[in-house]
This record gives sequence, C-alpha cells and structure tokens, in this order.
Amino acid sequence: MWVYIVRRLIWTPILLLAVSFITFSLGRFGPGDPVQILMGQYSNPEAVERIRHQMGLDKPVLVQYGIYLKNTFRGDLGESYRYRGRDVGELISERIWVSAQLGMAAIFISLALGIPLGFFAALKQGTWLDTLTVSVTLVFVSVPVFLTAPGLLIIFSLWLDILPTHGWGGFFDTRIIMPALVLGVPGVAGLTRLTRASTLEVLTQDYVRTARAKGLRDLVINHRHILRNALIPIFTIVGLSLAGLVSGAFITEGIFGIPGIGRLAIESFFSRDYPVIMALGLIIAAAFVLANLIVDIGYRFIDPRIRY
Amino acid sequence: MNWKIVLVVIVSVLLLAACSSRARPSAREAAPQPTPAQVATPLPTATTPSESRVSDGKASGQRTEGGTLVRLWNDPPTMDPHLTTDATSAAIIVEVFGGLVTIDPNLNIVPDLAESWDNPDGKTYIFHLRKDAKFHNGKPVTAQDFKWSLERAANPVTAAPIVDQYLGDIVGVKERIKGDANEIKGVRVIDDHTLQITIDAPKSYFLAKLTYPTAFVLDRQNVESSRRWFREPNGTGPFKLAEYVPGERLVLNRNESYHLGPPHLDKVNFILSGGTAMLMYENDEIHLTGVGLADLDLVLDPTNPLNAELNKAPPAFSTDYIGMNVNEPPFDDLKVRQALNFAIDKQAISRDVLAGLVIPAKGILPPKFPGYNPNLEGYTYDPEKARRLLRESKYGENLANFPTIILTTSGSFGSSVGLDMEVILEMWRQNLGIEVEIQQTEFATYLQDLVKRRFQMFEIGWIADYPDPENYLDLLFHSKSTNNHTGYSNQEVDQLLEKARVETQETVRYELYHKAEEIILADAPWVPLWYSGEQYVLVKPYVRDYFLTQLIIPKLRFVYMIEK
Amino acid sequence: MAAKQERAIFKSEAGGNSLWSQSLRRLLRKKVGMACLVVIVIFYLGGILAPWVTPYDYNEQNLSGAKQGPSLSHPFGTDRLGRDILTRIIFGLRTTVIITVASIVTGGLFLGIGLGLISGYFGKLIDSVIMRVGEIFLAFPDILLVILIAATLRPRVVEWVRGFEAATGIEGIVRLGIVDYVVVFGALAAFSWVGMARLVRGQVLYVRQSQYIEAAQVLGASTRRILLVHVFPNVLSPVIVLVSMGMASAAGAEIVLSWLGIGIQPPTPSLGVMIFENGSLSVLRTDPHLLLFPVGTISVLIFAFNLLGDALNDAFNPRAR
Repeated sequence: MWVYIVRRLIWTPILLLAVSFITFSLGRFGPGDPVQILMGQYSNPEAVERIRHQMGLDKPVLVQYGIYLKNTFRGDLGESYRYRGRDVGELISERIWVSAQLGMAAIFISLALGIPLGFFAALKQGTWLDTLTVSVTLVFVSVPVFLTAPGLLIIFSLWLDILPTHGWGGFFDTRIIMPALVLGVPGVAGLTRLTRASTLEVLTQDYVRTARAKGLRDLVINHRHILRNALIPIFTIVGLSLAGLVSGAFITEGIFGIPGIGRLAIESFFSRDYPVIMALGLIIAAAFVLANLIVDIGYRFIDPRIRY
Repeated sequence: MNWKIVLVVIVSVLLLAACSSRARPSAREAAPQPTPAQVATPLPTATTPSESRVSDGKASGQRTEGGTLVRLWNDPPTMDPHLTTDATSAAIIVEVFGGLVTIDPNLNIVPDLAESWDNPDGKTYIFHLRKDAKFHNGKPVTAQDFKWSLERAANPVTAAPIVDQYLGDIVGVKERIKGDANEIKGVRVIDDHTLQITIDAPKSYFLAKLTYPTAFVLDRQNVESSRRWFREPNGTGPFKLAEYVPGERLVLNRNESYHLGPPHLDKVNFILSGGTAMLMYENDEIHLTGVGLADLDLVLDPTNPLNAELNKAPPAFSTDYIGMNVNEPPFDDLKVRQALNFAIDKQAISRDVLAGLVIPAKGILPPKFPGYNPNLEGYTYDPEKARRLLRESKYGENLANFPTIILTTSGSFGSSVGLDMEVILEMWRQNLGIEVEIQQTEFATYLQDLVKRRFQMFEIGWIADYPDPENYLDLLFHSKSTNNHTGYSNQEVDQLLEKARVETQETVRYELYHKAEEIILADAPWVPLWYSGEQYVLVKPYVRDYFLTQLIIPKLRFVYMIEK
Repeated sequence: MAAKQERAIFKSEAGGNSLWSQSLRRLLRKKVGMACLVVIVIFYLGGILAPWVTPYDYNEQNLSGAKQGPSLSHPFGTDRLGRDILTRIIFGLRTTVIITVASIVTGGLFLGIGLGLISGYFGKLIDSVIMRVGEIFLAFPDILLVILIAATLRPRVVEWVRGFEAATGIEGIVRLGIVDYVVVFGALAAFSWVGMARLVRGQVLYVRQSQYIEAAQVLGASTRRILLVHVFPNVLSPVIVLVSMGMASAAGAEIVLSWLGIGIQPPTPSLGVMIFENGSLSVLRTDPHLLLFPVGTISVLIFAFNLLGDALNDAFNPRAR
C-alpha cells in the first residue's frame, strides 16, 4: 500500500514536467504574440522583433524551456508580460488565496445543503418529495450562471438591499454570500445524490417492512457510518473542485468584483502572458494530481479486492 | 457501498464543474466597440471619456476643497510611463507623471514642465523648464533628468514597445534603440533648465507626440533604486500614488506643490476589483460611470431620477471601420469598394440599433479633431447608385464569379459580433445581393493575422493618441506605413502626406490633409463606420468640472465637489 | 463449443442480456425518465426541422420593432434588431443538436471506452501507463489547446471543406458551424477520454473479480470474447448515464465556445450567444425577455439530460433505490 503511494508520488514531478512542457510548447508554437498585443493597435515588425529578442522569445523553443526550468527550480517564476515588471509569483499569490476562500465557501454551502437534503431524500424515498428534491437540485445545475448571478444581485442588492454589491472582505464578510451561493449551489446536486445513496445503503440493510419507521432512528444511530461511506467521494469532489476553481469563477468574479484568480487566468490566456500561464498550469496540474491520488487510494479502502 | 454510483457522480460532477466553471467577462458596459483596438486590457469598462464639462446642473451647494472621487477601473498593466501603450494605464499615468508639454481640456498643447519653448528652424526645439518644477519628493526637475529619461525610454533593455513611434523623430534615437549608441545625440542639455531637442525634419506634429507618456520624465534615482520602483514612483504629476493594492484598489493623493496648481480633491480612489457599475453608481459607491447600450433605456427614461445626472459627450477620437484588402478580389476593383460604401444606411443603424451611441462616420478624421473637414461629403446612403456601381464593376450584371467574402472580426473576451455588423451584412445582402460571412477570431490571433495582412475584409477601430492628423492619415494610408493594413497605395496621397509632414504653416498643412482624405475616401479602401466611444456618462451632481475629453489627458485636478 | 456453453451458463445469471432487458423495462416504467426523453426528442426535432417549423426567417430584421416583449405575433418577443426570438431559439437548438452530436461522434467517447476497457482488464503496466498519461491530459489547461487548434487547424480544415462544398455543390456546411465543432471536439477528445476511461476502468476492475469472468476464463474463452461479450455490457450502463450528462455539458459548452468566437457565426443564431450577450443585470431590468427565453430553453434541455441520466442510473442500478 505504501509502496504504491510512494510510487505515485515519484510520478508527480514527471507529470508536472510533462504538463509544463506541453503548455510551454503550445504557447510558443501557437498563434498570437504577446509583444504584438503589448503594442496594441500599432504594428511595427521591427520593434516587435527587437522586443522579442530582448525578452528572449526568439531563441529556440527548447532553449527557452531550459531557461524556464532553470529559473523555476530557483524559485523564480518570472515576470508577467502583461503586467510589466510584476512577479508572477506575486501576481498569483495575491489572488489565489481569495479564490481559494471563495471556493471553500462554495464547497461549504454545497456540503451544508447537500448532505441534509440527501438524508431527507433518503428518508422520503420513493415518495414525490424524494423525486422533487433530486429534481430541484438538478435545476440549479442546469441554469447558467448568467441568470443566477444577476438574478441574485437583483433580489438581494437591488430589491431587498441587504447585501453589498461588490468587493471582497474575506471569508467572514457578507460580500462572500452571493458569489459563494452562485458557485456552490450547482454542486449540491451531486452531494445530495451521494448522501442519499449512502444513507439508503445503510437503511435498506434493515427489514424492509420497518424501513419507514426505523428510518429516522437508524439515520441518527448510523449517521457516522453513512457519512464515512460518503466521505471519500465527497473528499474527491472537494479536491477536484478546488482544482477547477482556477479558471473557474471568472464570470462570478467579474460580476461581483472579486479579485480572484479566474480573471487573471483568462486574461493571461488571451494576452499570451506565458509566464503566468505556465505558473497557473503548474498549479492546476499539481492540484489534480493530488486529488487523483486521494481518489485512487480511496478506492483501495472501499474495496480491498482491487489490486493495483 | 455501491461505488459505481460514486464513480458516475464523481465524473459527472467533474464534467459539470469543468464546464459550468468556464469563464466569461461581465457584461460589456461600454458602447458596442467592435474591437479593443488600442487597448491591451480586455474589459471595456475602462472608458475613453469625451469632451464637455460636467458642471452645470441644479444643486447649488457650497464648493468644497477636498473630498475623494471614487470610480471603477481596471488593474493597469503597467505604471511605468515608458512602457505604457494602453488606455487603462495611461489614464492614471498622466495624473502621476508629466512631461515637457501636455494637453488641456480644450485640446491645445500647453506647457507642463517646460514653461516655454523656441523653435527657430522647425527642427530644433529649445525648451525652457520651469524653475519651480519638482518631483514628488521635492527634488527639482532638471534638463539632465529629461535627457536621462528619454535615453532610458529608448534603451533597448527597457523594451518600450512604442518608442519608435513616439521618439523616433529625434536625431539619434534610432541608433540608441538598436543599441548602437549610449546616448541620444539629438538631445542636448544646455543648462539645468534648458533642454535642446533636434528632430530629423521640421515636423509640426512632434510636439503633440511629446504629450504621450513615452516622453515623460522619470527620476533616475527612483528608477534605479529597485526593480519595483513603480510601486513608489517619484513623478511630477498633480497626484501622488498613495496606495496600490493590485486587483483591489489604487489611490491617488493630491500633490500640494503641483506647479500648475494643486488639485481640489484630496484623493482619487480607483476600484480595481470589478463589480457591476450601474448598481454601484446607484448605491453611491462610485461617482461616475459610463452607460452602455444595455442600460441606456433605463437611463434615457425622463421619469428616471438618473436621467438628470446623464451627460452626453461628443464623440471620441476613435474611428471604427471595415477595412478591405485592396489587393485581393473582389476588393481590387474600385467600384466594388465604392458600392459597398453606398449601400449602408449608417444613420438608421446609429439611431435604431446603437441608440445614438455612435456618430456615423463621413470621413476618416472625427469631428473636432485637428484637420477635420466639416465640408466632407462622404458616402450617402444610395442603394441605387450602389447597384449601378456594382453592375459596372468587373463582375457585371449577374455577379458572375463574385467570390465569397469573409469579414473577420475579433471575437473574444466575450465581445460578440456587434449588432451593427449584422445589420450591415443584411443591408449588403438586400441592396446588393452580396453574401458576406463573418468569421470571429480570438484577439491575439486576430492581431497577428491583421499585421500579416491575411484578411480579405476586417473590422476594427483606430484610436487617436495625439491630436494631429498625421496620427490617422499618415500612419494608416501611407503606402510604406507598417500600420497600413489594407495595402492601400496611392502615389498622390503619399506625396501629399509627405509634404504635410514638414509643412510648418498650419492652414496649408491641413489643406494638404483635407485633400489627402478626400482622395482616400474616393478610393475607398475603407468603409468608415462610426466615430465611437462613450457617449453617455452618469456623474453625481455634486461632482463638478469632470471634463469628458476625447483623449487621455490629465484632468482630475480640475474636479471639485460641492456640498450635497 | 465453448461459446455455446458460456451462453448457456450465463443466461440465467443477472448479467449480460437479462440485465439489459430488465433495465429497459424499468426505464420505460419511470414516468420522469420518459418525460425527459420526450422533451429532448421534441427539442431535437425542433432543431433539425428548424427551417420548416419556424414562423419567420431568423434574420428578418425590423429595426423599428426591436426589443418588443412577448406578443401574439411574436410569442417570445423580438430582439435588438427586431428579429423574432422564437425563431432564433429554434434555430439555436439546431446548433445545439450539432454540437451534442459532434461531441459524441468525434471519438472521445470511443477512445475513452476502449482505453478504459484495456486498462482495466489487463492491468499492471498497461494500466499504469494509460492512467498516468491520462493524468497529464486531465491536468492540462484545455482552453489553450482549444484556442490553438481553433486558430491553426480550423482555418485549414475550413478551406478544405469549402473546396468540398464548391466541388459537390452542397452548401452551408461551414456556415452551420459543423466544421468548427468537429475540430474543437476532436481536439478535446484528446482530453475528454480520460473521464470516461477511468469510469470504464473502474467498472472493469469490479467486474473482473466477478465469478462469471473467472468461469469464462476457465472455459477457455478468448480475451477478446470476454471483453466484448461479458465485460462490455456491464460497463455500458454507467457509460450511458455519463453520455447523457455529457450531452448536457456539451450543450453548456456551446456558450463558452461562442465566447471564444468558435463555432456558429452570426447572423446564424446560437443559444450561447443569445445568453452571454444578454447575461447582465441591466438586461434583466430592462428587457428580461432577451435573456429569459434562451436561458430557459437551454436550462430545460440540460435539465432534461441530467434528469434522464439520473433516471437511467436508477434503472440500471436498482440496488440504489
């Protein structure tokens, strides 16, 4: 078991290297030139060449990659092309913590709503309430953020005037509520299903005729067992969601004015801000690897018959 | 535990999370600009305000000194004047830094750090610097500072993107840029307060170019003190940079000892984190905002209290147009190009579709721009004439062999194809029977292909950076210009432009440009569409003297507040 | 000989064919699932038959009658250029049909199933390799690839298809955005196979332990036979569920692609463009119908896919109920 984990961990740097190389090559070989974008509406091929040379962009791709690696190992992630003179590491760390907090709030909401709903649906299994619960959660998955975000703004900021419209005040500030709702509610569906299934596993082990009556009591008694069953997948979802938050909440961040990583990610893609793209790519990759490792180990626990 | 379900749910949640979390910008709040042409920043909430003084209005309260102006803005890509190429950065930089000359709200070139200048032979400028000019830290500004700054801007290591454009006329700059020289020969320090600059020909637009941040003065000590000197810049402008939390806010403080008179405001607060502007304005969180197409209906309603705070501004110095590659069929035929020009009803589009947010463009230079020709006729809406011209073209009566036309437009950052484009295409279809297909391309790719002249027909805008017709006509239409994306070439026009470059008499000069513009229009390498930009701005009634200008110039020092 | 014996043994077990028919019967009985299926079919038919079922031309502009709310002549109102929204939505559904079909046909599905089967069944080194390679793709920022492919590969493919159009006289392939979507999803196939593969692999791992597989091996059935006849059908059920949810996300992905400028071009309508153009507070306040109708349509469709997937899941896995 531990051998397996160690083997996986050794694999991680190789994976990161592969991802970074692919990202790097795609960026360099692809169309679009960060220098041209800097020059805006002016075209001046001579100047572009000159500045590319200054930035080292005219060297062979492999050489550039080598330089990049060397710097990265020294901890220097480079300077952004778009935000001239600003360190990539600084740019990202300023924002990633904000996005992480928002993400955690969203996940918290998902859990806080999803698990109780799952219990509820399991208890009312087979009735219309059950179907309704599941359906309603699916509705929120299906509606695009374009409606939910402005909709919430209208309701809570304009009509009711109880929530501020924009900005960021940290995890415990009221301004986190609406964006976290927008991001968290879609996740409720999956969690509801999971919890429901897990609850039913436990409950149906009893005699069917007394299922309804015993339902609630067994729920209370066995709730730990139920949660433990559901824990690994929940964990996985949480982990993967964190990873997906990088380019994730762009729209929500824009509408609510949150200084997070989403906007940075998209902007950097479009302005070919290679250093930032590379750094973000690495972060995403690392997050995924971690999440995957957890999932695979989790399988092992769930069903020991699985051999790797 | 049935983990088949688990797997399904996990993977589906993954898929859902992955897709539902894809990104998009917030609604476009500015007028439907076809392309953020000049701007390196995507979100068009950075406004290019236009002229008109916001000081009328009812409320007569007591005028106060002090106060903080709050507005929404985008995180500026740079705070280094020599690296500035975009509007977002420029608007802040012109308030914190300064140069020899600047532009006033009436678009005249006026003294900034140079209190006067002589120009004996057109090629030599002798600037007399103010004796009381100081950096923010109290250090006096000298001619040596200017020489150093210009040389730093032209230093290849600085990698200033548009220094060729703005300083290239000065003798010795080209060598400096290539790294062949350690100094700029054409810049001489005569004494502490006298600076001599020599350019390669008597170009009257040179002074206008000096108003752009590339020519601003920097404090050598400040710049060389650290790699991140721009976080604590030592500028010469009416405001000092007090606080800059990237992605959150940028705060400017009044510079008490500003040589042209200190600002009235205490502070200016730029909110960088984003948000929905209209909402914030209504909640009194910001003092001014542009009004986009989507909000216009709301605000134009006379019963809406916001209507009283609405200000209309004259069009910005920006022209949106459709460019045609004159070397590729069908645009190698003049009559086709002219036909396309006659077949569009710009008035109707501007009025009905764009709610008057844009002014139909008759020519190339926008109204009030130096060299603008108010008598220019341009192309009227004449579908009959258009059809006739098309018949006379080489494609004849039944448009045999008329090739497919693909109109490329920049399509990312969530900027969908403008509604005006859809109407124009429809008009061409109905009036001329020509089918044009639109192709959107992601911005960076678009820019690259544009520069390489790969497009058959494209749509873009050009924003003026300094008030001189050379910035438009020469750069875009001279056959040798690298910014000439249509491949247009006309010897007569070239000659006119070259003469105008060095003509010292203003009226004669503008005559030359008028003539050039007429010829260019007749040759129709473009279909000029609009003079665009933000037309409507909401400003709180207790904020006064906020000038809406067509160019990016320092103007926050004029703003004052009155008691509510 | 071995085959006949196998079939005899396994028919009575709750595996293979009987699972199928049981599940199908269960599905047909579920009202919810059937309702979703009906909705989806209606939407798809509408999209496919768009030119024939719509009251107006989708580009019929009427500048003076713009932004009207719902009325008798325009049940969904008109848009900013006076075009009938109902018509544009139906044509938009056509785009959605194309994109969902493209997402399946381009092979991410087949690649995923195939690799998952192989990986799960053979295990050890092959499994490791496939899974690790998959991780790389999973961790990759795919927007970059999409942009790249869209910018480089797509124009060439488009030219080629235009040539094809000219030669054969078939029009409108490019205009329908088919080329764009096929290219994009083809590129994404390099990434999208991973999720499917992992799912399939998990199933295979589970099934592999089952007794009837061991029995088949003992009986001497070939590997290929085992895979196809025994493993594959068991694997299929979660795959179908996943496909259903995948269609949902493909429909949603159209919004993203429109935002990137990929896919259907104006003036041909697309639900994605209608949504993100109007997805703002201002529109909700002044002309909500511009947003609500397209959003409503796509939401209903996505919801139907999701709910169907849910129902399918229940049908195939009765133990969960």
